[in-house]
Amino acid sequence: VIGFVELTIFPTVVNLNRIKLNSKQCRIYRVRVNDLEAPFIYNDPTLEVCHHESKQRNLNYFSSAYTAAVSAVDPDAGNGELSIKVPSELWKQGDEMKVLKVYIEFSLDQPKGGLHFVVPDVEGSMAERGAHVFSFGYQNSTRFWFPCVDSYSELCTWKLEFTVDASMVAVSCGDLVETVYTHDMRKKTFHYMLPIPTAAPNISMAVGPFEILVDPYMHEVTHFCLPQLLPLLKHSMSFLHEIFEFYEEILTCRYPYSCFKTVFVDEAYMEVSSSASMSIFSTNMLHSGMIIDQTPMTRRCLAQALAQQFFGCFISRMSWSDEWVLKGISGYIYGLYLKKTFGVNEYRHWIKEELDRIVDYELKMGGVLLHPTFTGGKEKENPTPHLHFSIKHPHTLSWEYYKMFQCKAHLVMRLIENRISMEFMLQVFNKLLSLANTASSQKYQSHMWSQMLLSTSGFLKSISNVSGKDIGPLIKQWVDQSGVVKFFGSFAFNRKRNVLELEIRQDYTSSGTQKYVGPIKVTVQELDGSFNHTLQIEENSLKHDIPCHSKSRRNKKKKIPLMNGEEIDMDLSAMDSDSPLLWIRIDPDMAILRKVEFEQADFMWQYQLRYERDVVAQEEAISALEKFPTAASRLALTDILEQDQCFYKVRMQACFCLAKIANAMMSTWTGPPAMKSLFTRMFCCKSCPNIVKTNNFMNFQSYFLQKTMPVAMALLRDVHNLCPKEVLNFILDLIKYNDNRKNKFSDNYYRAELIDALTNSLTPAISINNEVRTIDSLNPDVRLILEEITRFLNMEKLLPSYRNTITVSCLRAIRMLQRNGHIPSDPSLFKSYAEYGHFVDVRVAALDAVVDYTRVERSADEFQWLLDMVQNDPIHYVRHKILSLLAKNPPFTRAAESSLCNEALVDQLWKLMNSGTSHDWRLRCGAVNLYHTLFGLTRPSCLPLPELGLVLNLKEKKAVLNPTIKTEQGPGGPELFPTQDEEDIDMETVHDSQAFIYHHLNMLDRPSTPEHHHHHHHHHHHEHKKKKKKHKHKHKHKHKHDSKDKDKDKERDSHAFSNSPASGRSMRSPSLSD
Amino acid sequence: MLTGERSGGNKSNTSPAENYYLARRRTLQVVVSSLLTECGFESAEKAAVETLTEMMQSYITEVGRCAKASCEHTARSTPTLSDVVITLVEMGFNVDTLPVYAKRSQRMVITAPPVTNAPVIPKSLVAGQKRTHPAYIPSHFPEFPDPHTYIKTPTFREPVSEYQVVREKAASQRRDVERALTRFMAKTGETQSLFKDDLTAFPLIAARPSSIPYLSALLPSELELQALEETDSSEQDDQTDTENNHNNNIHDDTGADKENAVLPPGGVVPTVKNNEENMIDNPYLRPVKKPKVRRKK
Repeated sequence: VIGFVELTIFPTVVNLNRIKLNSKQCRIYRVRVNDLEAPFIYNDPTLEVCHHESKQRNLNYFSSAYTAAVSAVDPDAGNGELSIKVPSELWKQGDEMKVLKVYIEFSLDQPKGGLHFVVPDVEGSMAERGAHVFSFGYQNSTRFWFPCVDSYSELCTWKLEFTVDASMVAVSCGDLVETVYTHDMRKKTFHYMLPIPTAAPNISMAVGPFEILVDPYMHEVTHFCLPQLLPLLKHSMSFLHEIFEFYEEILTCRYPYSCFKTVFVDEAYMEVSSSASMSIFSTNMLHSGMIIDQTPMTRRCLAQALAQQFFGCFISRMSWSDEWVLKGISGYIYGLYLKKTFGVNEYRHWIKEELDRIVDYELKMGGVLLHPTFTGGKEKENPTPHLHFSIKHPHTLSWEYYKMFQCKAHLVMRLIENRISMEFMLQVFNKLLSLANTASSQKYQSHMWSQMLLSTSGFLKSISNVSGKDIGPLIKQWVDQSGVVKFFGSFAFNRKRNVLELEIRQDYTSSGTQKYVGPIKVTVQELDGSFNHTLQIEENSLKHDIPCHSKSRRNKKKKIPLMNGEEIDMDLSAMDSDSPLLWIRIDPDMAILRKVEFEQADFMWQYQLRYERDVVAQEEAISALEKFPTAASRLALTDILEQDQCFYKVRMQACFCLAKIANAMMSTWTGPPAMKSLFTRMFCCKSCPNIVKTNNFMNFQSYFLQKTMPVAMALLRDVHNLCPKEVLNFILDLIKYNDNRKNKFSDNYYRAELIDALTNSLTPAISINNEVRTIDSLNPDVRLILEEITRFLNMEKLLPSYRNTITVSCLRAIRMLQRNGHIPSDPSLFKSYAEYGHFVDVRVAALDAVVDYTRVERSADEFQWLLDMVQNDPIHYVRHKILSLLAKNPPFTRAAESSLCNEALVDQLWKLMNSGTSHDWRLRCGAVNLYHTLFGLTRPSCLPLPELGLVLNLKEKKAVLNPTIKTEQGPGGPELFPTQDEEDIDMETVHDSQAFIYHHLNMLDRPSTPEHHHHHHHHHHHEHKKKKKKHKHKHKHKHKHDSKDKDKDKERDSHAFSNSPASGRSMRSPSLSD
Repeated sequence: MLTGERSGGNKSNTSPAENYYLARRRTLQVVVSSLLTECGFESAEKAAVETLTEMMQSYITEVGRCAKASCEHTARSTPTLSDVVITLVEMGFNVDTLPVYAKRSQRMVITAPPVTNAPVIPKSLVAGQKRTHPAYIPSHFPEFPDPHTYIKTPTFREPVSEYQVVREKAASQRRDVERALTRFMAKTGETQSLFKDDLTAFPLIAARPSSIPYLSALLPSELELQALEETDSSEQDDQTDTENNHNNNIHDDTGADKENAVLPPGGVVPTVKNNEENMIDNPYLRPVKKPKVRRKK
């Protein structure tokens, strides 16, 4: 990639003598300011976080050093990797606030991050091979592919030019103005214009031989996919206009950009990544009309992407600590879309799911803080001491934490909605958008652009303006403070006073919790109806008396009114004759981020399950009933299972609960195994009940139920703790008689779940003296299972299923067979499926198996193999996934002794996070996470005591050759040590590397002086002009320029703000000028 | 001549035909021998006689075939003398010498071959009534073929109507096919095994990475498409529609390119209006422009 950037800067302060930009892994040839060559320094402290301290191995140290390194290049603080010295001739001009133009010529050679090239290894031209490239990154990562001010708060307008091979299409942000051939007619230049001020991180691009589909409903919307997938694209995108209409309607605001593009790429970094007027999706989201399960998932992703177009791309954030507002709003309006499209049940189910997720995470890992404030900038005041990473920068966050952060953000938005009503909420959004809309059409000089940036305070102000309500306490509770609330509730009924005595206790001492003071809603269903009570939770009062409305006498004739006005007959024989209470719910609207553990009698849970119409209540009842394995519970669950008006996800959950209850009731269970007769009645032929009907998935609810029931049934166990023979044969028959010929839909997910059912039926083998497993010793049942799996797996090679779901299930099943000792434990099969070139779902399933093998067998070889893959795999997602799988299922933890834990491993992991992952923030954080799981925060115990003396590696040897000034070793202390850029040591660049010796200079006194310069905020006007040419290399050691290159020119015109350089001290470096 | 003609077709017939053939062959042999005697030979090797017989036979056959051909050429069905004469002429035989040769003195008289019963055409299967021509077909047209050649004779066993058995059969049949197929694939290709001691039990076809894994994983297989066509014709229409459009798109692109290349440099490219795709004003569907600088040259 060869590129050229031109920025125009309007200085807003006098004595501007240095300009700092962000740039990573770009090789910069020359920089000119107003036609004058300008010296520049390139220094990226994040390349290698800790220098020299080769014996320092504790994570606390790393985290603080890493945070310091990220701060040192943080554009929001006016820092950057690239520091350009304005030639002294121009100082005067700068003092007069005249325009400065900065020209940067650069190239990118085999970028490791930022841009991803997918070049399938087949015959044919690049276009025929489906080769493509796209930009990616986690948070602000645009600096990886061109020098810029890589901050969400620095807006400018853009002109982008891409010159690519004539067979390719370049898609980027903004409007495609024109496409022009180059003189030799072999290449095309795509000219894009983005007149709406946009921050650099919201710029992205994709180039490939895409097939183009103009949306039939909205001609401004264009979809792109890889060759041969057009029919899928057409089907998958057929409802996008509905999402558009929905958002525009609720926000009463038109989509801000004049066009929208969706690009589907292979080997995507994330499923969805949004940037101004375009979104890049994983190609695996495309599906044909025969696929049921993927359809809602794809729609959800599209809806998310579109929500982020409004809040995230168009309206950007002021600073990192305001991120929650944007994530919250986009997540919230996405939730509204879910409610409209998938129904209220689905929406409430989703809210409950999200709430459970965040509650579980916070209780386990500690609180998630939405709006961190960093007063004074002192490291000591870490608001989240329980975390092993800093939340000061997006780039230091663990991925898991970030996901939870988003989850909490939209839940808090929902709480705000509860407080101020949805109408006001939408008015606020509308106001924000229309302000931004007005601002976007203004010129830069009008200083209106800051309206397009959203900050927490701005958001709160507009809420109070619109609604007139004070939501301060709510914000303080959930936004400025981390943690969730944990309630324990119990009650007693006082018959004399006809009063319900409710006791609600809180746990606010354990990690991840906080104290809640305020109102809480309690709903009591009595015989005479349902009543809401709002109680006040206060410091000391635990007990609350709630008067009951009904007398306990039972009127048998009377129907019982429910919350929704319905009146129904109930069989009241189960209840306590003294009490009029049917069931009690605490905080039924999920108006608090909380976990409630409530005690009520089993019959009350059963009534709640049967008669409460809210899916959340039903789900709560189901999970509570697990503790009451009685015939009555069984009956309640079975009734729910049979009721087809009931929400299908509730029924699915009931299956698993029923399996658990059946196992607990093993000795008293009568009749056929749980669910068998039900399944037979619902899905089998009338005449021969052992044969399943030919598949017909027209009714999706029963389809999901049909998929789930066998999986749950397989969890049943008999007195010997084995899966009952009857159940196993039943499942085998389902597989045998499965007939999809008459079905309109594909049955791949169904078959995959049948294999999962087989997996679930496995129990540990009886092993004698750990002898090697042979075929002869194979249990006959297992032999049957294995035969099915073999056949499925082999058939999959001939007739692959959608997303290879069946292979994925088979791999899981084989690992389960191995783990239970039925077949010899052996990772080689999984390793072959984990290789590059298999479908990504298959790879992840195989990697999961290898990770599991590594843990069970404590295999150092496999662990090493996995770590090698983390370093070398071409797909970023897979590398990230391995680390998160390892962290989730670690081969050892800091608590346990393990032979795997040795010095070499520590060194390797340390190197991985220190310098090996500098091209991908997410990966680095993943490595930090793993390190934390394995060794904890302090120095790993397996290491010998620290010794004196430094071990110099190759890089440091180079460092020694240069004059090194080492003054202090503490983080943030002044350090100055030039080292050679890691990438320049590559073989490919040896011949010209002498020209590119960039010296890494750890900027002095940056951490200590931000206050001083913070308010300086000079506003420069940048004009970027940029040309890019890109070459594709084969990854060979020899320097090999292919002639089939995709070339690419790029030009952009931009207006940006930039902060002033931190200090007046200039640092000279032997920079080049050719 | 006719006899010669028939010999080709009748070889593999039943024993009466065989007899007939043998008798004819014997007569021919006698003829050859007598001709040889006429020419003054006293003895001949069996092989030589056989060869000559063969030659004679093929000559006669050829004459017969050609005569028939020329007769049919003139739209007749029975060869006449002139047909034979023409044939002989064509084969380079001087017909004028034939009467002389026939009346030669030392001609040996050969007894007529023993009358053999003409080959019995095996009785064809009697099925139904032989149909006569309907009134509007003249009688000289060939007769209807035997009824057995066109009459549909339904033969069936009592169909297995029991649902369970049908399903059972379908299921086990499919399973057997699948198993056989996968076993075959496994035997012929590379395999992976779950057991170290016995590599042949549960052979798994080796996982082979593909260079574009998403294609096979995302696109529905042909089998599924087929099933879809069978179940839902409207869906199928959709499918072909999209394919057509896909082609259209490609054509559009290349078409636009070509058009552009033909146009004088710098000329304004007119948008093609009759194509529906182009009615949509989308920048990605617009034709690619030529470089501007060219105009200056």
